[in-house]
Amino acid sequence: MTEHDITLTVNGAEHDLTVEARTLLVHALRDELGYTGTNVGCESSLCGACTVRMDGEAVKSCTALAVQADGAEIRTVEDLGTRHDFHPIQEGFQEEHGLQCGYCTPGMMMTALDILEENPDPTREEIREGLEGNLCRCTGYQNIVNAVQNAAKEMQPAAVADGGESDDDPTPATDGGEEL
Amino acid sequence: MEFSGTFELEDTTVDEVWLALSDPVLVQESLPGCTFLLHVEAEEADFDELGEQAEGMDRELTNDPEVIAGRAFREGERYAALMQVSVGPVNPTFETVVTIDERDRPRMHASGEGSSGDSSFEMSSSMALSETEDGDGVAVEWETEADVFGKVAGMGQRVINPVANRIVKRFFSSVQEELHDLGVEAVSSSDGDESDDRSLVDRVLGRSKSTDSE
Amino acid sequence: MTIDSLDPEDVDAADILGSAIERREDPALLTGNAEYTDDIQLDGMLHMAVVRSQYGHARLEDIDTSEAEAMEGVHGVYTYEDLTSDETPGGGSFALPTAWLLDSLEQVPHPVLASEKVRHQGDGIAVVVAEDRYTARDAAGAVDVAYERLDAVVHPSEAFADDAERLHDDAEGNVAFDWEIGDAEKTADAFADASHTASIDLENQLLIANAMEPRAAVAEYNPGTDELEVAMTTQNPHVHRLLMAGVIGHPEHKLSVRAPDVGGGFGSKIHHYADEALVAWCSMMHEAPVKWTATRSETYLTDAPGRGHETKAEIAMDDDGNIVGLRVDTMANMGAYLSTFAPAVPTYLYGTLLSGQYDIPAIYGHVKGAFTNVPPVDAYRGAGRPEASFLVERLVHLGAKEVGMDPVEFRKRNFVPDDAFPYETQVAVVYDSGEYGKPMDEALELLDYENFREEQERARDEGTYLGVGFSCYIEACGLAPSELAGQLGAQAGLWESSLVRMHPSGTVTAYCGTSGHGQGHGTTYAQIVANELGVPYDSVEVVEGDTDEIPQGMGTYGSRSAAVGGSSLVKSAQKVVEKGKEIAAHQLEADPDDIEFENGEYSVAGAPARSMSMADVAGAAYLAHDIPAEMEPGLEATSFYDPENFVFPFGTHAAIVEVDPDSGEIEIERYVAVDDVGNQINPKIVEGQIHGGIAQGVGQALYEGAEYDDNATLLTGSMQDYAVPKAEHIPEMETESTVTPSPHNPLGVKGVGEAGTIAAPQAIVNAVADALEPFGVDHIDMPMDAESVWSAVQANATADGGAEPAGDDADPGGER
Ligand code: FES
Ligand code: FES
Repeated sequence: MTEHDITLTVNGAEHDLTVEARTLLVHALRDELGYTGTNVGCESSLCGACTVRMDGEAVKSCTALAVQADGAEIRTVEDLGTRHDFHPIQEGFQEEHGLQCGYCTPGMMMTALDILEENPDPTREEIREGLEGNLCRCTGYQNIVNAVQNAAKEMQPAAVADGGESDDDPTPATDGGEEL
Repeated sequence: MEFSGTFELEDTTVDEVWLALSDPVLVQESLPGCTFLLHVEAEEADFDELGEQAEGMDRELTNDPEVIAGRAFREGERYAALMQVSVGPVNPTFETVVTIDERDRPRMHASGEGSSGDSSFEMSSSMALSETEDGDGVAVEWETEADVFGKVAGMGQRVINPVANRIVKRFFSSVQEELHDLGVEAVSSSDGDESDDRSLVDRVLGRSKSTDSE
Repeated sequence: MTIDSLDPEDVDAADILGSAIERREDPALLTGNAEYTDDIQLDGMLHMAVVRSQYGHARLEDIDTSEAEAMEGVHGVYTYEDLTSDETPGGGSFALPTAWLLDSLEQVPHPVLASEKVRHQGDGIAVVVAEDRYTARDAAGAVDVAYERLDAVVHPSEAFADDAERLHDDAEGNVAFDWEIGDAEKTADAFADASHTASIDLENQLLIANAMEPRAAVAEYNPGTDELEVAMTTQNPHVHRLLMAGVIGHPEHKLSVRAPDVGGGFGSKIHHYADEALVAWCSMMHEAPVKWTATRSETYLTDAPGRGHETKAEIAMDDDGNIVGLRVDTMANMGAYLSTFAPAVPTYLYGTLLSGQYDIPAIYGHVKGAFTNVPPVDAYRGAGRPEASFLVERLVHLGAKEVGMDPVEFRKRNFVPDDAFPYETQVAVVYDSGEYGKPMDEALELLDYENFREEQERARDEGTYLGVGFSCYIEACGLAPSELAGQLGAQAGLWESSLVRMHPSGTVTAYCGTSGHGQGHGTTYAQIVANELGVPYDSVEVVEGDTDEIPQGMGTYGSRSAAVGGSSLVKSAQKVVEKGKEIAAHQLEADPDDIEFENGEYSVAGAPARSMSMADVAGAAYLAHDIPAEMEPGLEATSFYDPENFVFPFGTHAAIVEVDPDSGEIEIERYVAVDDVGNQINPKIVEGQIHGGIAQGVGQALYEGAEYDDNATLLTGSMQDYAVPKAEHIPEMETESTVTPSPHNPLGVKGVGEAGTIAAPQAIVNAVADALEPFGVDHIDMPMDAESVWSAVQANATADGGAEPAGDDADPGGER
């Protein structure tokens, strides 16, 4: 098996490593570099559990070979926020009970960030569509959709600027039965 | 699973197509991923041996009916093919042995099985040629029943069906091309000197059992 | 109603039980700090891969491992012969046991690696141990196996056919067992006297659990101490330890099993599979850590599927629309071998629920289990109960139609009356408590039922087909007591064990023998224990899922954790409080009978100033300078809680669908769920469980199903072919609850883990049948894809001589 020397920048830290040509990016991240927050659910780009951000875009890291990611900037769940300083998307999942076993969650959050980047104020349908490539077997998705909406509200610069402060409700958009 | 379809070859006749499809060399060239296709003489097909045999052989495509007749498929005989197929992310190489169960112009029936390390298949296939309605082409109606096992089977029909269809399509397009390039001309049973051509036609047409004079 | 979650810091200690607080397990899961089994990396760790069968059914002629062995990076390749050889470690049975027996059960051998015959595609033939996972898989592919393929059977009806290929020499006719419940004669009489009957012929398809985390195990053997530690994806570590000890022949006390974070189970991680035992054995063999993680394809081939029934059933009514009898004949798919608890699923977990929410005077159920060439079938979320509830609710739908009653009125007429509890059914169980009309009424109000029927009528006139379907389900959780379970065939007790330990500083560690894998036990158990001990919620740590830490346990399945595990914690905590009372009495110089305990304070009755906090008592207990004579120091208690009975959650789910008869497409317009799961420890978690359960039920109704071809080759072996529902497939769910506490346990809880999955399928199928009533469609087997709906419409249309809905003379469903 031919080996290749590659460089991956993961969450801002540069790593030089040697991988086999066939090593998947997700295995390089998990097995070689120890970023085990990114999970593997199918190894066939169907479940989304392994979603990371590569050069600013959500990518299923089981689809990419590590060598293809040579030189790329990768962002994983470990870079979002700490338990004492959650990123709004983590906050959203916590508040809305958007996770149960948590296995799909890192991938869900990475995809959610992509959705919100493209559309800061998505409807419930748009969120469901955007999560098309991410499977969750535990939650039934409703609270995940709530979580993404919750984060959207939190992340909108407008909400803060134009007096979003006055809105004290820490759990917006919880009205699961309604279309918004 | 079952696959079937009809493929139309333009600008040709039933006899031309029959001749082409009787030629293992043309079939080998037309089958995507086929490394060799050889008559099996031994009791068991030894693919290592057959591989060496194939390398040592110098068989060319031809439009010479006499040459084709000499190597044409024969009813009741077994043929071995080594075929690489790409199915989704994997490229298994199948060691395949096929028996020609029936060869009676314009119909052919064959059955066989193939295996590669973690996958295998069993199949039974038939084909019938007829003139197209407009008269200047040939319709090949084919039907295959296959059981797929192992890793490849696990990829599901949505992966396998398109692969099978792709192979068939590429096969016939390539047959069409070869027919055209080689200018294969049929030895038709209905013209020429009857008594002279009889055995040749019979051989090409697969009637080796009933009338083969050798 | 959506429940808003609360920050635990904003909740008064006295209110902690029953509060929808945020989960404490989330921060680790949200930051990537969780540790799932495959995250574990150990020095010198080797990787195992399993060679599995190419065929659903074949005789093994030869296994040639030489090429694999010669590959670089391969440390060993083993077959059944190697496992059982005298030269290799362990003297186990190397066969997987069945932990539930039935009188007629044909106990067939289930070797961990096949040596003569493979009976399903997941059957292992050899294992490879190699340096890394890629090499291990490559080498597995290089093992050359020669087979003689045999005919296969997939469905029970095929397995029972006269000329069917037999799987096991001892199981004649492929019969695994033949079982019955209820009174055949009485039921026959009821049918003979009935004025109306309705019948159904249905298939409850095989489903695959699809937990997002594939099964995995990491074993580490320490040759110095002979200790073997196995971290694995398990819902019940103690049960796995006990079973594995026998399988690999390593003593139970030298074996530890730990569940790290587990990414969902839904039943599939209860059972003892071959793979985890093989990892453990390989670790002993190589005296090195060994890891195995299933690929997704392997989970499809090996995870125990659930359901798999072919059933004929009938319901009988009198003139007034009272149900007078119910008769069921089921062929249940057991797969190739008997999985761990498999025999219980289509029998005691199914037959005992055939009365549903109804007062039915005569019931008879007959179930025959079949060996087939699919993977061993076992519990999948609901396990037996969804099959029963589906059947009963489909029959009730048809029964109502038969007697010409509105399905709601028909159900209400036949509900077990509120004053009949505890209610003994004709199928051997006693329902604890219930008020079945309540959730139904609530659901009707949410749906605005009367209006809906009018709208349905109007829509039909315009050629739009709406339908409403109800599912009044009953569930049985926390199978108990152990004595009864034993009589029914369980080879295990079904108690739960816990240990509540006060630390000298007043904080607490609570250990419980259940093993959560997404249910939030860390949160709910802390709520329970904090409430009992009157200590702050944050002072309670919960430990689960490790045989080294937790005295004993039975695990998490069957929605038992809150009812049985939670109650065990209450019992342990109460023992702690009692001991504390004696210490407090001693220190406060009062009679223990005069000590009151409230909100974490012990005080002397009538003299509230004389008091001591729980924390002070804990300190005193460990100081042991001044505790009652003959009392042992320390403050902790263990208990084994064996419930008196099952608990029976119930509820009404209802779906409104629109069906396009031309395309066969089904749109779920509304989904309403009103559940009564008894008292709720954390309503937000309850809501989450209901949501997730419904999603799996919707999956069964519309999308999912394991399909095999005639050779028992799985056709739905990837997430592409097996449709795990995506976000867009699941409707917005409107959830409400009623609360009827269970009298059987100190918490008054019933159980919620499976409710949604049990309830949902029939709500949707009934709704589709209601929508297509004008077309004379009574039943469509699941999953109801567009094609099957379209075909059902066409089949009836042709039978009626036209593709138009039947005319006015055929009873239009909306007319009531
Ligand atoms: S693991 Fe990459 S998409 Fe499933
Ligand atoms: S939370 Fe378990 S899979 Fe999504």
